[in-house]
Amino acid sequence: MASKRPTSVTIRSYQVGFGDCFLLSFHYGEKEGAEARHVLIDFGSTGKPPKSGLSMKEIASLIREACTPAGGGKPKLHAVVATHRHADHISGFGGTSGEIIAGLQPDLVLQPWTEDPDAAPDAREPTAAAASAKGFVARLDDMHAVSTHVLAEVATLRGLKTVSAQLGFLGEDNLKNLDAIRTLQDMPCRHVYASYGVRSGLEKVLPGVRVRVLGPPTLKQSAAIQKQREEDAAEFWHLQAQAVRPPAGDGAVAGPLFPGAAQASSEDLPFQTRWFLPRLDALRGEQLLEIVRILDTAMNNTSLILLFEVGKKKLLFPGDAQIENWLYALTAAKDSGKVQKLLAEVDVYKVGHHGSLNATPKTLWNLFRKKSETAGSGRLQSLLSTMSGKHGSTDRNTEVPRRKLVDALEKETTLHSTQKLTRKSQPCNEVRIPV
Amino acid sequence: MPQASNHPRTRRMTIVAQDPAITDETGAILTTEVEIPAERLAPGPCGYRVHVIDYDSSTRTLYEPAVLDGTGGAPLFVKPSNDEIREDPRFHAQNVYAIVMRILGRFEFALGRRVSWDFQSHQIKVAPHAFADANAFYSERDEALLFGYFPGRGGKPVFACLSHDVVAHETTHALVDGLRGRFTDPSSPDQAGFHEGFSDVVALLSVFALRDVVKAVLDRSLAGGSRRGAAPDGLVHEKFLTPEALRQSVLLGLAKQMGEEMSAVRGQALRRSVKLQPEDIQADPEAFREPHRRGEILVAAMLNAFVEVWTTRLESLGRIQKKYFDRERIAEEAAAAADYLLTMSIRALDYTPPVHLEFGDFLSALLTADHEIRPDDSKYRYRDSLRRSFARFSIAPASQGGAEEGIWLPSQGDVNYECVHFDSMTRDRDEVFRFIWENRQGLGLFEGAYTRVETLRPCLRIAPDGFALRETVIECTQLLELQASELAKLRIRKPDGMSEDTPVRLQGGITLIFDERGGMKLAISNQLAGTPETEERQSRRLQDLWDFGHFNKGASLNRRFSVQHRLRAMGSPRQIQEEW
Repeated sequence: MASKRPTSVTIRSYQVGFGDCFLLSFHYGEKEGAEARHVLIDFGSTGKPPKSGLSMKEIASLIREACTPAGGGKPKLHAVVATHRHADHISGFGGTSGEIIAGLQPDLVLQPWTEDPDAAPDAREPTAAAASAKGFVARLDDMHAVSTHVLAEVATLRGLKTVSAQLGFLGEDNLKNLDAIRTLQDMPCRHVYASYGVRSGLEKVLPGVRVRVLGPPTLKQSAAIQKQREEDAAEFWHLQAQAVRPPAGDGAVAGPLFPGAAQASSEDLPFQTRWFLPRLDALRGEQLLEIVRILDTAMNNTSLILLFEVGKKKLLFPGDAQIENWLYALTAAKDSGKVQKLLAEVDVYKVGHHGSLNATPKTLWNLFRKKSETAGSGRLQSLLSTMSGKHGSTDRNTEVPRRKLVDALEKETTLHSTQKLTRKSQPCNEVRIPV
Repeated sequence: MPQASNHPRTRRMTIVAQDPAITDETGAILTTEVEIPAERLAPGPCGYRVHVIDYDSSTRTLYEPAVLDGTGGAPLFVKPSNDEIREDPRFHAQNVYAIVMRILGRFEFALGRRVSWDFQSHQIKVAPHAFADANAFYSERDEALLFGYFPGRGGKPVFACLSHDVVAHETTHALVDGLRGRFTDPSSPDQAGFHEGFSDVVALLSVFALRDVVKAVLDRSLAGGSRRGAAPDGLVHEKFLTPEALRQSVLLGLAKQMGEEMSAVRGQALRRSVKLQPEDIQADPEAFREPHRRGEILVAAMLNAFVEVWTTRLESLGRIQKKYFDRERIAEEAAAAADYLLTMSIRALDYTPPVHLEFGDFLSALLTADHEIRPDDSKYRYRDSLRRSFARFSIAPASQGGAEEGIWLPSQGDVNYECVHFDSMTRDRDEVFRFIWENRQGLGLFEGAYTRVETLRPCLRIAPDGFALRETVIECTQLLELQASELAKLRIRKPDGMSEDTPVRLQGGITLIFDERGGMKLAISNQLAGTPETEERQSRRLQDLWDFGHFNKGASLNRRFSVQHRLRAMGSPRQIQEEW
């Protein structure tokens, strides 16, 4: 290795539509043939732009290309980070594209503690285990079950286009991506399941780089914020998983609750109350959407938050962490004062959760010291991987990306958004940062 | 000459006493009979105020409307078996119908008049199996009470419609909305917490007002302990009957049993309310600004007062043997105390200001409502207990009181009755408006605001001794719409970060109570602006609303009861201040 410390970092944000895929290449020397080490942070998508979208296999090939030493030789990916289990972050690890990534023989797979197979529940006793790691992971499984059932029921909703579309999108994102999860688990290398404050294992892979894990907090840590609410949430998801009953299949709704009871047709109701049935159908769609939205947030909050310190530069990759995850690092952790000081110096910010309204907490944003309304070398750079019109709605001020946030990013940072990649010939944004 | 009617005024109907988790010693689900207004029911059942429509939106199944009147008008289910209770949708229809009618009947009895829903229709729709979801809520938009179902621990379905307190809770939301439509408007954390807290209070007191439930909970919570040991049959040792012992055994016992099946619907809120101590609030005051936690304070204050009154009643009852009380009478006294506090609580709604309710206003309303009809409190000291209990939770009455501490002061100053006719004032809103207009300065109304007489309600209330109190209750509200930049003119502070052109609505209002001779007894006001105190309160409210995101687009959707209940069950408050 020409240098013991990186001299620069290249960050590629690939156009995956609604999803995340970032390749960080740490260059150890600027001369031709100097070694580079590569870390892939997430590889998933739940919606591609119609014209500029490359397939996941094509993107995997581009990643392989980027990981090939300049003078030729065997391509090598040094580490894979899967911030959390949402499809828009890990779907690419399944199928052929996943095989290509696995073929790059990473030395390390880094995931949040919630993905640790040892934390997987062997028995489903959610109440007893509510405050335990197993109980929490069982809850994530319950959420997948809810999504599966909701998706099946969406197919049967009548005349509710907008609600159905949103349900379909969120439901799919929250399905258990077994194929991708298995590929990640089966990679024959070191696996680290990290939580706030632990070592990420990336230091060994990336000499001269310090990586701090700022989230997710463990259950014990988050108890400092959530107090006695854990039990309620565990109970809620366990019952909800069973409440949303699987339909009979083939697009048919579930069988009646009381098969032996006499049924009636809506014509049997008095004229003045027939409006009530379609109203209840519509309400059902809204209720399902409400549940799936809560579920989506809970999953996002299992996201890894990583702060890379490379030379004098600080790069922040918070996955989809929303405020509930961030709260521990920002306010409750014993060393939150120190963390705040570090965050103030961030040079590159991967915008949380595709630019949604509550994944760039105001407290965090206000900390960033390098925001500036004028362009210049020391200005904060922001990386946004997103696609409008997939998530949330402008009617409720929940659109992703949130317009107000994008305006602030454009005004006070140098913004690199994948939305600007509108041709297949532009597969990614590439930013090189001397460190 | 018309003949006296043989048609009975009331009828009895069997309901599940609390929920199917509460059984008697033989394992039979505890049921009880409740008295509700008699009426000629159509299939559904469909009556003059309630229409049960058994449609399941998850399976798109409409069940045949239940015909509850058997031969001779007898109810369909008198002594239902466990299987019928769990598996016959017609019994579920009977159960929800009877509980909704019972709560409606309690409101109408307490208020001394008919109570309307907050929508055009006279009949609220009730769907006992609305969806497969651990939720139940009142939806004003759909004119309905909706109850979900979900699998329980044993795999058998749990039905929200079979839980007395859940049905009573949702019905109370609908009734309070009909009585004080503005209480769902954005205001203070107190008002946001009031709907949930008050609905819990009514639900719990209406369950405690059933002797059978109290007996079962008392037996279950004392069984296995030392109760049976030395106590003669049917007696309970006095050491189990101190306020603290009853809080631990009966209140917590019931909260736990209710939690066994239904915690997914209501979370652990009831258990938390029962356990809540004033020190908990002092330790984390910020957490108790959140509406659900705020509501728990109201429930805690009311339940502690209930236990205190209950023990006071037991003391005056006397012991059967040295140190022992009769179990039957213990349950009866609990039921009587709960029933009385329930009446007081409902009646208090008439004595609240129409907008911007805070818990101190509700306490003054409670004390006044009772003082008006029963001036002498020396027997069971209900009002003393309430004052003490609320004080423990740092809730002071909004009024300092005159004849008695904490009650609203009688209206003072010159009131101009010229040009108005009292007879018309009991039925004509325009006549009332004329009275208000003539007296607008004395009543502290804000000149130039949109002013409206919302409701006009003559009532006839009956005291425990049979004494009748006639009153007319009038609700008048004021509304001012302006831009944030104009707040300074009213000496109201603009919240930090609010832009100058943000549209702001300010509300004020006054409740007037007239006696039977046409004199104005009480003017209970939350003024819109004009005094330093009002300006300070409005400034504080605006800041709170800004902090909690009520000025955000779509915020009204998050105020719906369905969302509120879900958040309550989940226990996950939003961090609005951190959002974009």
